[in-house]
Amino acid sequence: MKAFADYNPISVFFCIMGVASVGMFCMDPLLLGLSLIGALALFLARNGRAGMKECLWYPLLFLITAIGNPLFNHKGVTVLFVLNDNPVTLESVYYGLAMGCMLVGTLLWFRSFSQIMTSDRLLYLFGAASPKLALILSMTMRYIPLFRAQAEKTNRSQKALGLYKEDNIPDRLKGGLRVFSVLVTWALENGVTTADSMTARGYGIGKRSQFAIFRFRRSDAVLLLLSLAFTALTFTGMGLGKVGFEFFPAVTPVKATPFGVLVYISYGALSLLPAILEISEALRWKSLQSAI
Amino acid sequence: MEILAVRDLSFTYPTGSEPTLHHLSFSVEAGDYMVICGPTGSGKSTLLRMLKRELTPIGEQSGSVCYMGKPLSELDDMTSATQIGFVMQRPEQQIVTDKVWHELAFGLENMNLPQAAIRRRVSEMAAYFGIEKWFDMRVDELSGGQKQLLNLAAIMVMQPQLLILDEPTAQLDPIASADFLETVGRLNRETGVTVILVEHQLETVVPRCDKLMVMEKGGIRYYDNPRTVCEQLRDFPAMLEAMPAAVRLYNSFAPKDQCPLNVREGRRWVEEHFGNRVRAIPESPYTHSDKPALELKDVWFRYSREGRDILRGTDITVYEGEIFCILGGNGSGKSTTISNAAGLLKPYSGTIRVFGKKIQEYRNQSLYRDCLSLLPQDVQTVFLCNTVREELKDAGAAVEELPYDISYLLDQHPYDLSGGEQQMVALAKVLATKPRLLLLDEPTKGLDAYARRGITTILKRLQSEGMTIVAVTHDVEFAASLANRCALFFRGEVVSEDVPRTFFAENSYYTTAVNRMLRGHFDNAVTMEDAVELCRMNGGER
Repeated sequence: MKAFADYNPISVFFCIMGVASVGMFCMDPLLLGLSLIGALALFLARNGRAGMKECLWYPLLFLITAIGNPLFNHKGVTVLFVLNDNPVTLESVYYGLAMGCMLVGTLLWFRSFSQIMTSDRLLYLFGAASPKLALILSMTMRYIPLFRAQAEKTNRSQKALGLYKEDNIPDRLKGGLRVFSVLVTWALENGVTTADSMTARGYGIGKRSQFAIFRFRRSDAVLLLLSLAFTALTFTGMGLGKVGFEFFPAVTPVKATPFGVLVYISYGALSLLPAILEISEALRWKSLQSAI
Repeated sequence: MEILAVRDLSFTYPTGSEPTLHHLSFSVEAGDYMVICGPTGSGKSTLLRMLKRELTPIGEQSGSVCYMGKPLSELDDMTSATQIGFVMQRPEQQIVTDKVWHELAFGLENMNLPQAAIRRRVSEMAAYFGIEKWFDMRVDELSGGQKQLLNLAAIMVMQPQLLILDEPTAQLDPIASADFLETVGRLNRETGVTVILVEHQLETVVPRCDKLMVMEKGGIRYYDNPRTVCEQLRDFPAMLEAMPAAVRLYNSFAPKDQCPLNVREGRRWVEEHFGNRVRAIPESPYTHSDKPALELKDVWFRYSREGRDILRGTDITVYEGEIFCILGGNGSGKSTTISNAAGLLKPYSGTIRVFGKKIQEYRNQSLYRDCLSLLPQDVQTVFLCNTVREELKDAGAAVEELPYDISYLLDQHPYDLSGGEQQMVALAKVLATKPRLLLLDEPTKGLDAYARRGITTILKRLQSEGMTIVAVTHDVEFAASLANRCALFFRGEVVSEDVPRTFFAENSYYTTAVNRMLRGHFDNAVTMEDAVELCRMNGGER
């Protein structure tokens, strides 16, 4: 048993992307609600009280969207009242509420995603797609702080050597430019040593394998399969018109076909899965902790 | 068993007229710990690169290098890359990837090992080197010493039989370099890996090695066990200077017994051969001018608002015309002090005066004109041009006016110079601003004994011309031979301050090797000159 964030990044990626993409492309209020509940549950489970505070502005966003839509969107047949010669319709209020759900839900999913996907997890994901790209990215990530530190050091040395003659902006720019140009030379020189260090350790003698600290265990495979299957099922349902919803001109009733119900259940399970994994791990840890 | 055999090896760089190496022949036994030393330009680094096929420079080569009886060129790629490990001088530049764990795995990935095997070897290596704690860290968060240990571990993880190290501790402070060399020694003892090490800090490695090679002008001058070599160094003063204190003292007198190699043996040797009727060198009282050149009063500094205090009420006064050395461990705030004094960092409380005037009152960068200059720790950051000539012209420095000669370097690229030469060129640029107060940050970092002596002489000469010099250094030998006054820095403040002879005689650990060796027998021997003088007064003959 492990927390959702501790699953292999590939599984986590497909799980969150699956839920969020349905939430982004479909206007079915039930699916949107499920997506929002799942996103909110995961975010709060991971961030606790601090997360609650951060969530405070989401209702505001939700309201703005929900109220804003009927003010500008005048489609729909049920007129509630007329404002400045413009009809405000019930359908566009519903539509606004759904939009709010979608917006907040999607934002929350991506918020959790960026929290979980630290740079090394992202790198691992890229690596899964292309090992060469992964190495290049890793080297770049190494190089940026190195370059920045050297730039800072050089600038200070030069300042004490009187590179900057006056306290004005053109002079500072001129000095900065010279420092930058010497840093390019430095970087090339530096690159030669790095290249030596790479060949000395056998880079380029043949096929490379790729090591990652993230393992792919059976549980990761299960999560990945569930994510793919449920996402596919939901999209199939959407494609076949078994789920889906029309707001205009008038709202349609929710279709309760057997396949539609299956889609709702499976999407709900997928959406809530991350939060369930996260919470059950926290509970388990609490009980283990109390036994220490 | 012979792991490496070099036969009649010569090498000439395409740009060089003279061969860099001529007719070298030697062999190395498996499991040996071998140290190579020699003055700058004797071909040490070139020789090391000839022993690692991937790094062999382009040029004209004759003779052969055999690894396990097979010429290097006939080894298959995998053997050549993995069996012979090579650690270079600069810790930063050798690191390829952004994470510690990835760096450890890099070589194994190149060997195309499967995940499970990599995982096992990497974990094992991390545990052996004690780097578990920083396993998940980004490499730019590590200290220099940690980076170099990571480089070593990233090589050892490929399980090499032969480990070659090219001045691996040149960029490290004394504690980190002792740590590093200790790890190399432990690897040699515990895993039997053959070690070939080029070093200029010979104090610790010479007593421990099995074989010592002394190179001179591309040839081998001596190659034997260290004691035998050290007993012959009398007629090679340039190299003798770099040797451990005990060896230098032994060679200052007519041969008596075997040559002592470390502090313990040296102490025994002195006690056996010299009395101590005269125990101390008479000390003349030190007087300085009463005009302060640099004053720090109750200076407090931190790098960020939430950070911790690095300088905690620092008080320092340096008088005009003196040489003042600030010593102290890593992170004690030495370098921060000097950056504050140079106006590069601003304290949040306290005052700094340069020649009696508050540092903020120097407007329009006038502090850096004819007043104060700083030679930074990383001298590469001083250079902006493609040749030394342009560099000097740019700074407005005239070669003839320098107190030393660098005219033979004029057409070279500053990055291609040796550490000592880079220091000289950087100093020339610094001097071109005509400073009256010269600040130096670790001026001996990465320098061999010869270059160190060179810079000591130059600084003394500048002092005699009226310059005030403040140096921050880890190098106790350098401070002892240079300073008028020394200060020990600890946790952001000066805890003790005195003339070097008294200063070092009162410390028992943070002091020169000479002092540690002669402590108890003589009272205030701090430098080699002191030691020779005292031994002579007690009946030694040259």
